[in-house]
Amino acid sequence: MNLDALIAYVTSTPLVWIIVTISAYKIGILVYEKSGKNALLQPIVIAYMIMLPILLLANIPYKQYFESVSIIHFLLGPATVALALPLYKNLKLIRSYFMPIVVTLFLGGTFTILSALGILWLFDASTTTMLSMTTKSVTAPITIITAQDIGAIPSLAMGFVVITGLLGALFGSFIFKILHIKHDAAKGFALGLISHAIGIARAVEISDKAAAFAALAMGLVGVVIAVLLPIVIGLL
Amino acid sequence: MLHGMLTLLLFQFIGECCVKLFMLKIPGPIIGMVLLLLFLLFRKSSFHALDVTVSWLLRYLPLFIIPAASGIITQIDTISKEAVAILSSLIIGTFLALAFSAKLIDILISRKEKTHES
Repeated sequence: MNLDALIAYVTSTPLVWIIVTISAYKIGILVYEKSGKNALLQPIVIAYMIMLPILLLANIPYKQYFESVSIIHFLLGPATVALALPLYKNLKLIRSYFMPIVVTLFLGGTFTILSALGILWLFDASTTTMLSMTTKSVTAPITIITAQDIGAIPSLAMGFVVITGLLGALFGSFIFKILHIKHDAAKGFALGLISHAIGIARAVEISDKAAAFAALAMGLVGVVIAVLLPIVIGLL
Repeated sequence: MLHGMLTLLLFQFIGECCVKLFMLKIPGPIIGMVLLLLFLLFRKSSFHALDVTVSWLLRYLPLFIIPAASGIITQIDTISKEAVAILSSLIIGTFLALAFSAKLIDILISRKEKTHES
């Protein structure tokens, strides 16, 4: 037996962190399914609550952890390209309500960014925090990829994305009730536009129609913000 | 599945190459995504291998986010310093944006359906 060799291997192999990360996500899926797919108990939220204490307790430098699991991170690139397919499949929905969708996409997309920035500005927040807030309504993979290019902090931006998703799912029913929102297409589109994938999970609970419009909104706003934001910020 | 993965990697690669060549500010995978969308619109259909790979990748998408998202442990200082600003912005901003977007599209859809009926 060579205990030293074993310890040396365990503390240096990327396998350990890959297994821990996948396990945290697997537990997240199990909890989500056990809860009857409650939109607020997203697998990513559970995985966060498991991973963060482990990383802090293990006292591992973030850079070292990131390098260990870089193979998982790599898949984010092809997965972002993959978002073209659901967008393609939902694109035919645009024809039914072309003007309402285009108008809401641009006005709603601008409103979500400016309202959040306005409040941060009132509180005199730092520029980095403000930049990281600009992608809060964009789906996570697009956020991470875009954040680096606009001078935001990807992980901070990601935290804002997840919280925005959860808040949207939480407020949704209440807002739709007090504002007397009649159409499922409108509920779904607004949820996908503001609360990306978590909004879709919430829209699935409303109806199939709401879910399809939520998916369409998430794809459209993701592309529009990812394309326009770096250009707008570059001009400032 | 291999054909599907190859398609996605190829479009990502072309996207990254476009960014370098034309000095674009937009991330490479986003260009790859837009190009794949145009390709599908032009082709007028998807194919089985792509469907399989995409559904596999998107099913586990949140997993691929964990490595970058965990970087939040390096941001604890920023968050605790600006907690009030961040939470106000997230809570009030999300509430207003969702209310604004839902009401706007609901009115626009109602108006469109009315003009169709008359």
